[in-house]
Amino acid sequence: MPLSRLRDELPHGPLHLILAVATLVTLYPVFWVFSIAFSGKQSLAIADLPANPRVIDRLRAVIPWPEKISASNFVSVMTDQPFARWILNSALVAIFTTVLGVFLACTAAYAFSRFKFPGRRPGMMAFLVSQMFPGTLMLIPLYIIIVQILGLGSSRIGLIIVYATTSIPFSVWMLKGYFDTIPKELEEAAVIEGASAGKIFWRIVLPLAKPAVAITALFSFMTSWNEFILAATFMDKENMYTAPVGLRFFVGGFSQQWGYFAAGSIIVSIPVVLLFLYLQKYLVSGLTAGGVKG
Amino acid sequence: MTAGSSHRLRFLVGVALAALLGAALLRAFVSGASRQIADEAEERKAIVTLQAVTSLVHSAGDGDAVRKVVAAWQARTPSVSQVRVFLADGMRLEVSTAPGDAGERAAPRRLQREEKPLYDRNQRIAAAAQTNREEQQARKAEIEAAPLGGGRLSLAGPIEKDRASVGLVEIETALQPAPRTPGWSGFLLAVIAPLVAFALLALIIGERRLPLLLAGVACVAVSLFWMGRAAAAQIAAEQQRAAQAVAERVREQGAVTQEVAGALGLKTDPAAPGTWDVDGFRKPRGLIAADGSVDAQRLGLQMKEAAGAVRKTVLAAGALSLVLLLVAGLGGFSAVGVTLRRHRQAYLYIAPAMLGMLALVFFPFAYGVTLSFTDSNLYNTSRPLSEIWVGLRNYADILGDFGFVKRSESGIFVNYLNFYWTLLFTILWTVTNVAIGVTSGLILALILNTKALALRPLYRVLLILPWAMPNYITALIWKGMFHQQFGVINQLLQVFGLPAVSWFDRPATSFLTALVTNGWLSFPFMMVVSLGALQSISADLYEAARVDGATRWQQFKAITLPSLRPALVPAVIISVVWTFNMFNIIYLVTGGEPSSSTEILVTQAYKFAFERYRYGYAAAYSTVIFGILLVYGVIQNRVSKATEA
Repeated sequence: MPLSRLRDELPHGPLHLILAVATLVTLYPVFWVFSIAFSGKQSLAIADLPANPRVIDRLRAVIPWPEKISASNFVSVMTDQPFARWILNSALVAIFTTVLGVFLACTAAYAFSRFKFPGRRPGMMAFLVSQMFPGTLMLIPLYIIIVQILGLGSSRIGLIIVYATTSIPFSVWMLKGYFDTIPKELEEAAVIEGASAGKIFWRIVLPLAKPAVAITALFSFMTSWNEFILAATFMDKENMYTAPVGLRFFVGGFSQQWGYFAAGSIIVSIPVVLLFLYLQKYLVSGLTAGGVKG
Repeated sequence: MTAGSSHRLRFLVGVALAALLGAALLRAFVSGASRQIADEAEERKAIVTLQAVTSLVHSAGDGDAVRKVVAAWQARTPSVSQVRVFLADGMRLEVSTAPGDAGERAAPRRLQREEKPLYDRNQRIAAAAQTNREEQQARKAEIEAAPLGGGRLSLAGPIEKDRASVGLVEIETALQPAPRTPGWSGFLLAVIAPLVAFALLALIIGERRLPLLLAGVACVAVSLFWMGRAAAAQIAAEQQRAAQAVAERVREQGAVTQEVAGALGLKTDPAAPGTWDVDGFRKPRGLIAADGSVDAQRLGLQMKEAAGAVRKTVLAAGALSLVLLLVAGLGGFSAVGVTLRRHRQAYLYIAPAMLGMLALVFFPFAYGVTLSFTDSNLYNTSRPLSEIWVGLRNYADILGDFGFVKRSESGIFVNYLNFYWTLLFTILWTVTNVAIGVTSGLILALILNTKALALRPLYRVLLILPWAMPNYITALIWKGMFHQQFGVINQLLQVFGLPAVSWFDRPATSFLTALVTNGWLSFPFMMVVSLGALQSISADLYEAARVDGATRWQQFKAITLPSLRPALVPAVIISVVWTFNMFNIIYLVTGGEPSSSTEILVTQAYKFAFERYRYGYAAAYSTVIFGILLVYGVIQNRVSKATEA
């Protein structure tokens, strides 16, 4: 190719070396989790060291390959431990959060995008600023409202309500950006044909915005699937833990069940990692467009 | 003249709303206060009853004498349906008049497994009594009340010998049904009377704004004043009645115990009835005189306090009503109404999201900010905020204390709980992380942008992985890898003959662990952003530069960097906020170890709230964090606008 000759590119060898080192560093923790998960033990060490370890023994303890391959951690984390139930909790919370949050965000984003009304700019600014509210400031009042007033401590519904409302601003900004790109002429034509406003929204705008809605929904799902602090604060009862709280339960405090943790992490991560790899190009454009968001 | 522009009509609506609001507030206050008075009286009566039987149990000693005394007492006290006496020594259920405890299960006997709740209750009460005695204060309830449903209450208090708790007496007693709520006639009158009065006045005044306003204010004020007096009188009467009821119970129980003691002959005399009216900490309330009559002076004080509360409520209700009256009268509502109607659709679409946000985002925020002006902590959450108001003290404590480096005889040490230390640490944390992220992300992106490099897509996907993983999992994994004894990092160090490091024992190494973890998970974002921007640079630019004889470095400076700017600047801005707020990494990896030296602002605020239970202080801390972010946001907005222009 004449172009590449013109650019007299750097030799590929060193580039591959840098990339290979970077990839190794990137993948090592992942391999580490896999070797703990498949070790069939709860130990944090990949290999047990003899009393007077030689360099070769130490090297063995660094190479992420279990001494004995066994799937027993996966089996017992799902059967002996309540982890299946925690995943169910997480899934239910994430699904209903997504449905509720995206519905609320769709209608609001549509209004912000299409109507001119007093309070539009302040409203959008308020949504944006609310992203800067520190979580710790909200935690105590939210705890009082959800647990003490509504009595929804250790309840999936309480968590769903909180997640759904806190996800609104991000979703509204994503969706509004997309709604803005849908030509107004379509709706104007529908108005002339005599369609009601509700009909226009449900039958014309939403179907056109399907890709954006789907992506917003997936983000919303991912965020609540991964949320840790609120869940850790609200879910007191062990059988109501979500997966993140449960995973921390395995290795937090004095508990050292690293095998369960590793197996559980893999189970929890695989869906979101796949989802993420599929979504990341949308994420970048959405994030960098919106300015400050926390 | 249309209805919408009539001053009279507007003010009439205003007066109606104001009167309605004032009356509703006062009514809610009165019924709340009555319920509270009634509940308290019921509790006091129950406690008096419990104290009476406890004093009989004390006097009777143990064995059959106690059982006889309790049976005789219960026969004379119809409100009590069962009594149980438990002695910790030998786990004995000494007395029980519960219906199930007859025949084989009759007391005395050993406590059975399914009766563990009684045992637990004894443990709690004994522990509470001991704590209070040791700390010389009333902190934990020594008399435990548990509602049983159906208007019944289970109440338990300790039996003491030589100032140590040896068991408990538990009674189940019926409560009198709650008083009926005040009637609606007064409420209706308080709404209609000012309305009628204002309507008549308005007929005389005509369409003049100022007189109408004054007339409206006067009508509402008179009605509120009158309602306030009625409310104060009602509350006073209820207090009187409650005090009488308690005093009557004291006298009644005094007579019953006298009778029982006389009939059965006890070792010692039961305690004087005047000491039975105590609170949950067994501290005398002092409302009943020794002879069992109501202490008029104390009752008077209580009434005065209640009257003060009524006055405050009337003033608050008056202020709110005045606002309503003004807004309605001067046309605020009609203007809002017109706007709402004109943009009905837009508001309808926004309403669900906005309501949710108001209830669970904006209200909690406002509440949190309010909390920051109080001394709210674990021990006073039940008290109203006005009582624990401390003004700006929390802010002064946080922002006014610059002494994070202290000199002592053993050298210089840092107070890691100081705000400015944490702020400095947070800035260091943010700057280093973003710098690492941008550098490594940019370098990798430049390499990955090399055309015709083999395996490019594979590298790209693998290098994105850390971003895709849930960050709490990442944090816990690295925490495990940095483990002092079994972690692979230390194993790796030892392979090269280096000593193992206790990572979390020194601030610098602890910081390093968090930095490595966060660096690992944050470089892919910068890499992806930079790669996207690099790929959008037209190859023609480079070609033109080469034709002009530019070197590789000149090309990078003149073409690559400027083209990266529009993408990198927002990415840096957002990743500064992310890193600044990166709760999970700090909380889960270092946990602030050692001794809070590696906390960032958000984790420190969390710990003040949920580990040190200083809610007010934590709220002020969080508000300061919000202020910092807000200033950052405004500056960033200015800067990016200035650079765009």
